[in-house]
Amino acid sequence: MPQIITEQNLRSLIDLLVKEAKLVVGPKLSGSVVLYEPLTAGSDLTLDALPRRSSKELFFPICEDILSYKRENGAMKVADVDRSKFPETVLIGPPPCDAGSPAILDAVMSWDYKDEFYLERRRKSTIVGIACTKGDDACFCRAVGLAPDAEAGSDLFLTPLKDGSYSCKAVTEKGEALVAAHLNLFAEGAGAEPVPFVDQAVEKLDLVKIKKWLEEHFEDPLWEKIADICVGCGACAFICPACHCFDINDEGSTDDGVRRKHWDACGFSKFTNHASGHNPRDVQNKRYRNRIMHKFKYYDDKFGKTLCTGCGRCIRACPVGIDIADILAQINRG
Amino acid sequence: MCKSDNIYLPNLATIEAIVDETPDVRTLRLVFQDEQVRENFSFRAGQFAEYSSFGFGESTFCIASAPTRKGYIECCFRSVGRVTESLRRLEVGDTVGVRGPYGNSFPIEEFFGKSLVFIAGGIALPPLRTVIWNCLDLRDKFKDITIVYGARSEADLVYKHELKEWQERGDVRLVKCVDPGGAGPDFDGKVGFVPTVLEEAAPSAENTIALVCGPPIMIKFTLPVLERLGFTDDNIYTTLENRMKCGVGKCGRCNVGNVYVCKDGPVFTARQVKAMSQEF
Repeated sequence: MPQIITEQNLRSLIDLLVKEAKLVVGPKLSGSVVLYEPLTAGSDLTLDALPRRSSKELFFPICEDILSYKRENGAMKVADVDRSKFPETVLIGPPPCDAGSPAILDAVMSWDYKDEFYLERRRKSTIVGIACTKGDDACFCRAVGLAPDAEAGSDLFLTPLKDGSYSCKAVTEKGEALVAAHLNLFAEGAGAEPVPFVDQAVEKLDLVKIKKWLEEHFEDPLWEKIADICVGCGACAFICPACHCFDINDEGSTDDGVRRKHWDACGFSKFTNHASGHNPRDVQNKRYRNRIMHKFKYYDDKFGKTLCTGCGRCIRACPVGIDIADILAQINRG
Repeated sequence: MCKSDNIYLPNLATIEAIVDETPDVRTLRLVFQDEQVRENFSFRAGQFAEYSSFGFGESTFCIASAPTRKGYIECCFRSVGRVTESLRRLEVGDTVGVRGPYGNSFPIEEFFGKSLVFIAGGIALPPLRTVIWNCLDLRDKFKDITIVYGARSEADLVYKHELKEWQERGDVRLVKCVDPGGAGPDFDGKVGFVPTVLEEAAPSAENTIALVCGPPIMIKFTLPVLERLGFTDDNIYTTLENRMKCGVGKCGRCNVGNVYVCKDGPVFTARQVKAMSQEF
């Protein structure tokens, strides 16, 4: 029998988790826009709009310290970041296009060398995903094999019901534990009818066919046609749930400071620039080609996954109107 | 190395010696400060590391010293950016960070019993110098050793003291050259571009491995020469020097197509290079 949680109890759950000293993060009005931010109470949760940036920053922050250094009595000392202090975290409210991103990024963060900054946050987090009933014309999760009701990546998955409550499905042991620890907020029962999932006017893509096309068309007039207009602003990468490129830099003096890992974008002109001045991706369409290739071929070659959840943020944000869903559909039609 | 599971944490090393190879290329000899690291640090010729200058960040260079020379490592860099300029300002006794070793290496044991031809241009000698000394330290394992090395001008030749040493050794054939216009009045090498000089030197391809490193334009014109000399793509090795940050297959910068130079390389055969997306 599925569990039901009313909207009021969902907000009470957030209140309780905050009291338990957990970091609770969810969509919240922050200034004039909705972002994934720490919730201080259940009333903060705002489920009306897709947050401007994805929830990946919960695991892979825009900028984070990876070490600190300090010269003491003339000798340089380097100190690690105490990752045991990363808080137990509950992410509440991501739709499948956001909830699904860590399940994709786990692969690159844990092959061979393990990024314990990302992985420790993953271990300490529980994701409560919510089926998507809102969506807009830029959404294309169905096209890349996800769906408004996809549970991938969620530990507990909520489906909105017509009476305002949610049916709950524990997808993982973490999800079961979250329910078990707050059982009084959940009720047994079938509940009301589900709210219809968002309807997307997108064609389902044949990702195998697209990958094959990419393999055979490293050189193709398409790249210039679609990407010479790219201004290299990097917005698409910064708001993407799956982009994971980063840079490493020091901040501070030569005696005292921190080393930081922070987001970067393959669309930036200096991203691959060699010290000699030679640049393998010297023009914008080569950089955009790398973006598409990385998402739909290279990542699949390495890790057997597509590096895109179809959230549509890059389509909404692109200042020159580059539409990745349309590009994929063009390739798909052959 | 580090006891922490933080893959970004460097070991600390002291600059033991500095050599100015050219007006803007410098070698640092580094000794790890931690005794255990100093004793246990091992690497293979061809691997690289991330070197950090505190307050500025990290730069990627190969380990230019030979794994057969214990107790220290060396890196060699041209000062062109923020981090390399700050590394250049450091003095003997100063501290740098070193993360690594990373990447694959030259399969030296597979070269035993063969002749070797090293071909390098400009500041691309350091990635081969580690192999050259590795092989010279095991000299009886190899047949003929030829080194073809060129730079834009006489002043741009790195490791000048070692070039002299190789020239004077009876068991190495050194062919050094500078681009037309780059020779001083007393230059005792050849004048010409590396691929042309290589073709004139015409080392035998029989039972021989060629190791090539240089700017993309040099590689482009050298590979056809090697082919004409009879080298097959499996007997030609190179090391790619793409821009890197993490060095451990995550930051998304060094890929050539689906090949991560930091993890799958940096050492590749010509056959592997030719199979890659041509995005160098």
